[in-house]
Amino acid sequence: MHRHERFGCLGLLWQAVFVGLGASLMMALLALSLAPQVQAATQQGLRLYGGGDQVTYAPQLSTEVSIRISGALTRVTVRQRFNNPSEHWVEGRYTFPLPENAAVDRLRMRYAGRLVEGEIQERQQARRTYEHARASGRGASLLDQQRANIFTTSVANIPPQEVVQVEIEYQQQLRWQAGEFTLRLPLVVAPRYIPGTPLPGPEEGEALSARGWAQDTDQVADASAITPPVALRGADGFNGVSIEVELNSGLQLAEITSPHHRIQVQERAPGSYHVSLADGKVPADRDFVLRWRPRLAEQPTAALFVEQWRGQHYGLLMVMPPQAQSLPTPIPRELVLVVDTSGSMHGDSMAQARQALLKALQQLKPADRFNIIQFNSNVHALFDEAVPAHPRYLRQARSYVRDLQAEGGTEMLPAMQLALKDPRPSGLLRQVVFVTDGAVGNEQALFQAVSREIGDSRLFTVGIGSAPNTLFMRKAAEFGRGTFTYIGSTQEVGRKVAALFRQLSAPVLTDVRLNWQTEPTGVPVAQAPEIVPDLYAGEPLVIAVKAGSAPRSVQIEGRLGGRLWQQRTVLQGGAAGDAVHALWARRKIQDRMAGLVTGEEHDKVRETVLALAMEHRLVSRYTSLVAVDRTPVGPPNRELKSTVLATRLPAGWSGPAVFGRLPGTATPAPTVLLVGLGALLLAWVTRVTRV
Amino acid sequence: MRPGFRTLVSCALLVSGAALMLYGTYIPAKAWLAQLLLDRAWERRLAGESDVPPWPWADTQPVARLTLARLGIEQIVLAGASGRVLAFGPGHVTGSARPGDRGNVVISGHRDTHFRWLASLRDGDRLDLETSDGHSRPYAVVRSAVHHERDIGLLDPMDGDQLRLLTCYPLDAIDSGTPQRYVVTARPLRL
Repeated sequence: MHRHERFGCLGLLWQAVFVGLGASLMMALLALSLAPQVQAATQQGLRLYGGGDQVTYAPQLSTEVSIRISGALTRVTVRQRFNNPSEHWVEGRYTFPLPENAAVDRLRMRYAGRLVEGEIQERQQARRTYEHARASGRGASLLDQQRANIFTTSVANIPPQEVVQVEIEYQQQLRWQAGEFTLRLPLVVAPRYIPGTPLPGPEEGEALSARGWAQDTDQVADASAITPPVALRGADGFNGVSIEVELNSGLQLAEITSPHHRIQVQERAPGSYHVSLADGKVPADRDFVLRWRPRLAEQPTAALFVEQWRGQHYGLLMVMPPQAQSLPTPIPRELVLVVDTSGSMHGDSMAQARQALLKALQQLKPADRFNIIQFNSNVHALFDEAVPAHPRYLRQARSYVRDLQAEGGTEMLPAMQLALKDPRPSGLLRQVVFVTDGAVGNEQALFQAVSREIGDSRLFTVGIGSAPNTLFMRKAAEFGRGTFTYIGSTQEVGRKVAALFRQLSAPVLTDVRLNWQTEPTGVPVAQAPEIVPDLYAGEPLVIAVKAGSAPRSVQIEGRLGGRLWQQRTVLQGGAAGDAVHALWARRKIQDRMAGLVTGEEHDKVRETVLALAMEHRLVSRYTSLVAVDRTPVGPPNRELKSTVLATRLPAGWSGPAVFGRLPGTATPAPTVLLVGLGALLLAWVTRVTRV
Repeated sequence: MRPGFRTLVSCALLVSGAALMLYGTYIPAKAWLAQLLLDRAWERRLAGESDVPPWPWADTQPVARLTLARLGIEQIVLAGASGRVLAFGPGHVTGSARPGDRGNVVISGHRDTHFRWLASLRDGDRLDLETSDGHSRPYAVVRSAVHHERDIGLLDPMDGDQLRLLTCYPLDAIDSGTPQRYVVTARPLRL
């Protein structure tokens, strides 16, 4: 009684708890042990599909690339053969990379013995054209741009045991840097890290089949379109690529090299070469890079390509500014080294990055200041702020670099912001060197951060690994008013880092202006880019131009290391170039798209880009190429088996480092119940033992 | 010891114990209730309705129905295999082959709730995987094995034409953190 009085309220609580407990235990038992009664097994005559059967409905893909190089321009044809060995009508979708500055202007489809020419349409319209053809049983293919360097081919109604071939063509100007031409042909879209929280699941049908391995998020709204499924095990022997190059340099070459593939080179005529892969077909798991270097005496200092198209004159001008010597007394600088240590960098890439950083540290002069920032799922700076390049700090930095481990996510945005933030301007030249594979899906947000926060700093990107994100490297450097470099193997590190540091310490050509002279005078000239970027040592000035009559000459001026530099170039005798107009339009579109980063109104940008892309037949964010066969041959839409083709993991990448682990599949329920029960028992014990 | 203190401790233990019991019950109860709602949504989907969220605030959607006739099990499989999705039902691992397709279809489920029955599977058991267009693909269990959580090649869409069911291992452990996974492989069946 006595006790009951004192614990009156508790007693009631106890009753409530026991009733509740009883109910909840019963529910738990019911819910947890829903394992049903074992019924009589209904074994049937089991016949498994044998190992010889095709694994998926996915068409088998093989790719042939032919590259025609004339001088500094190249025309590339990518032939994708979708082979359907199954007994079904299928649809295939393949996501693949192209160079970030490619002017993609042609799509052709070989379907049932016919050659069908694609046409340019507004993106949504092109999708409707394709869907309609697909539903009506016609052969159709569609080429969409997801990023400036990621494209998707869709092919509908591939007949059973037939091949449909899609031919994609693009025009590109080659990179000419430090006396060397480079062609980079990306072959695989590396898995991208997708930051943000997932958006609600996709709508039915279309979106589901477009699905990549990532869900769309609030930060990357099209994540599912840029993350094609990755074949981690069954990858042997699919999507082999063959590459043939006709190289007409017009110059005597000192050497032709390919750092990542074995090649065979034949000189067919003076200055004309044929290059092919020594191994025939290679897996599509790394960029194909070709470099050639003219003999020293033949190093070009200017090149001009011209074309007349629809009554307009187009030109592409490349001028190599004079090579200024390094300054006798180098200006002290603040160097911020940023390194990506996310899972995608695991393995070869991390080794290259580590070496690059160590080489960079060697280049520091005693008057310089520096810091190192690494990022994966988190961002970490070695020092709170930049420190002098004293031996003590350098030692600390070297051991920090040697200990870098690659794992986790790629939260690049906070790293970029931290690197560009300059809390206490020291008056030193501030250079940020950003070492990464660029495997992220939120490029636009990063470009915005760079453009907003670059201030007086300069950003230099260093693309690492076998399949770097070329769009990120080029555009981040452009918005950051620096340059971009690639390192694809540990053998290249020394040479590439040395070249980068020559650029970092040589004077920069700034305030470049061009003054075009036309005949008659005063004809308006549209140049792209409108504002010429700063030029670093070894980089040529590249300008595309459009005018009603051919410009006769151009006066170029700029400031080089504080001095005025002027040059007059006569624009005559330019070599006839293919699709120079497309290159001009491509550069113009790039200029306009940059407006989206710097805050221009989307509708306005879209309007001008759409007009340019439609006129010049270019694939863009707002336009797609679509080819439709005339004759319906396939079955109605419902029976079409649709698959998204898998891609390979880039060479040197580790699957587990990128994709983490298998899903976790245990609930805390048993633990929670056990602990709860324990607590109740304890409560009961403390109650009854009280006397 | 002061009685007030003891009462306090007793009360605190009582309340937290009761809360934990409720929470521990809520997890399987939610899993069970969600399947009821999902089942209804699935039937409506089969009847031809498109966009049918199983409950108004659902952020995933049913993609298949998994049946093990021998044990009378029928479960609705959801899109995605994140912890949030798995609370409501087995999840199709995004990136593996899609249900209904040829290829490596991977479905993951909680070992304490939806996928408890994985332990009772026997080689030769027939599984049916039905997609929202009403088509069903039969499979037969051929193998069960334990893998490390790092063995993500198991999710490769091209890694053979099969159905993989995946849950945490050991199957009857209490602790929810384990690097091991129990993987049941079933091959397509020709009837």
